[in-house]
Amino acid sequence: MEEPLDTWFKREILSHEEILMRFLARVWPHRDELADIRQEAYARVYEAAQKSRPQAPKAFLFTTARHLMADRVRRERIVSIRAGGDGEFLNVLVNEISPEQQASANEELVRLARAFDRLSAKCREVVWLRRVKELTQKEVAKRLGLSEKTVEKHLRTGARLLAHYTRANALIPRSLKTEVDEQDDDKSNYEHGTHTRD
Amino acid sequence: MSTERTQEIETAASEWLVRRDSGVWTAKDQARLEEWLSASTLHRVAYLRLELAWEEAARLKALGAGIREDLPPARGQWNLTPFFKAPYQEKGLRPNAELSAPVPEPASRPDAGGVGGRPANSRRLRIGVFAVAASLLLALGAGAYLWLVQGGEHYMTPIGGVASVTLKDGSKVTLNTDTEIRVGLSARERDVDLKRGEAFFEVEKDSQRPFVVSAGGKRVIAVGTQFSVRRDAEDLEVVVTEGKVRVEDAGETVLAPGTIAHAGNAGVLVQRKTVLEAQEHLSWRTGVLMFRDQTLGEAVAEFNRYNERKIVIADPKVTDLRIEGNFRATNVDAFVRLLESGFPVRARVQGDRVLLTSN
Repeated sequence: MEEPLDTWFKREILSHEEILMRFLARVWPHRDELADIRQEAYARVYEAAQKSRPQAPKAFLFTTARHLMADRVRRERIVSIRAGGDGEFLNVLVNEISPEQQASANEELVRLARAFDRLSAKCREVVWLRRVKELTQKEVAKRLGLSEKTVEKHLRTGARLLAHYTRANALIPRSLKTEVDEQDDDKSNYEHGTHTRD
Repeated sequence: MSTERTQEIETAASEWLVRRDSGVWTAKDQARLEEWLSASTLHRVAYLRLELAWEEAARLKALGAGIREDLPPARGQWNLTPFFKAPYQEKGLRPNAELSAPVPEPASRPDAGGVGGRPANSRRLRIGVFAVAASLLLALGAGAYLWLVQGGEHYMTPIGGVASVTLKDGSKVTLNTDTEIRVGLSARERDVDLKRGEAFFEVEKDSQRPFVVSAGGKRVIAVGTQFSVRRDAEDLEVVVTEGKVRVEDAGETVLAPGTIAHAGNAGVLVQRKTVLEAQEHLSWRTGVLMFRDQTLGEAVAEFNRYNERKIVIADPKVTDLRIEGNFRATNVDAFVRLLESGFPVRARVQGDRVLLTSN
């Protein structure tokens, strides 16, 4: 029996997210649209795979993303300007953009820990108690003196941010960042320097 | 599809995920989830994506082994476990060019322009491929040819050149186009006089000898850190990507990583950015100019820093066109060609200038 489509999709498609995002960031000038293109590509690949699973899933994912971008250029008359010529993204080979070898299990753990460390202090505790210590949401709420609603909020934020941080480390859409009021690295406003004496 | 829509779907997906995880989950809930998933494949893939991240988060257990406390260890305090032999630190973009022996003439240099008339003591040096983070390497292609004129502790680059030098204390300086520095190392202080232009510094830690960049009557001071200083007459722009840097003019301003500061006569204006944005600001180190929603006027001014052949905006109508993109700093032709193909702009070559008009 064939394995479930969802399992296949996670392993063969979603696992390439970091490379995909790097590729998109390189060829697509509008950062805020990267997540849109990614999700649209996932949806198209999923729908195609419902009919028949592609032989080369990774190449198929990248081809789909390229077509989506080409569609957008045509539809919205976006001017895509890149070093070395426009429309370059139509011709990039998958192998050119993924020179790195499979990350080792240890590296993946380091990456996970690093992503986890970027969560806010409370969110970190909540995710830890639920995922590592396997307390129920109710128990987590009690242990930390939080309402269950708040625990849920932290878990939602935690799942979303871990998905981003572990895969597209550097490419968090601004809208998500501001939404989850994370730490201090999303301030891009001007402020006057304070003069300090030490 | 708008960004807002993607975010909304992701939010909804996270709500479903957490509700299913809550322990209170009925057949009716499951039916409603199925319904939501079936409504759009965009829903389904957003859900699968978060579910996968959530499944993977369980691997934090491997890191939790041996931690008796039920709360997580402090950030970065993971090295107690055997998993962290690999250095636990943020990966920065470190250009790692080494100057190799001078070669008489590079085999090919497609972007050549305006170096023919350099003084006779100009030496053309071949620089190895930059070893940088993979994401940047992708945008880069092959190595770059750089130029360096060297007279003792005195370094210069011509227009369009970028070069790295390692100082005697181990610190590394990357000089941008048309830049001149003088270096003085003493037992008490490491002094760099930025005569003109822009340079990026990777400072070797030495708490006994502060690293001081002076320019336009101001001093920029670091101990062990990474930052750049750009001089425009008396005004400075300082970009910090790692560690802390102090700017001394009339007063003192301490800059954290991810800041871009402008020091003029009126004081210091500090712009807080992410470290990544600050690094983007320094993309010139790999010969690439990055523009993010900037006017054509700004982009042209930036290009002209790198090329003897100047682009001139001959029609104010085109000045405020907004552009985005990554460009090779020394390839004026490609830039102009792309402008013509994508904007209502016409280019005319007039002597060693390129005039831009609207059409």
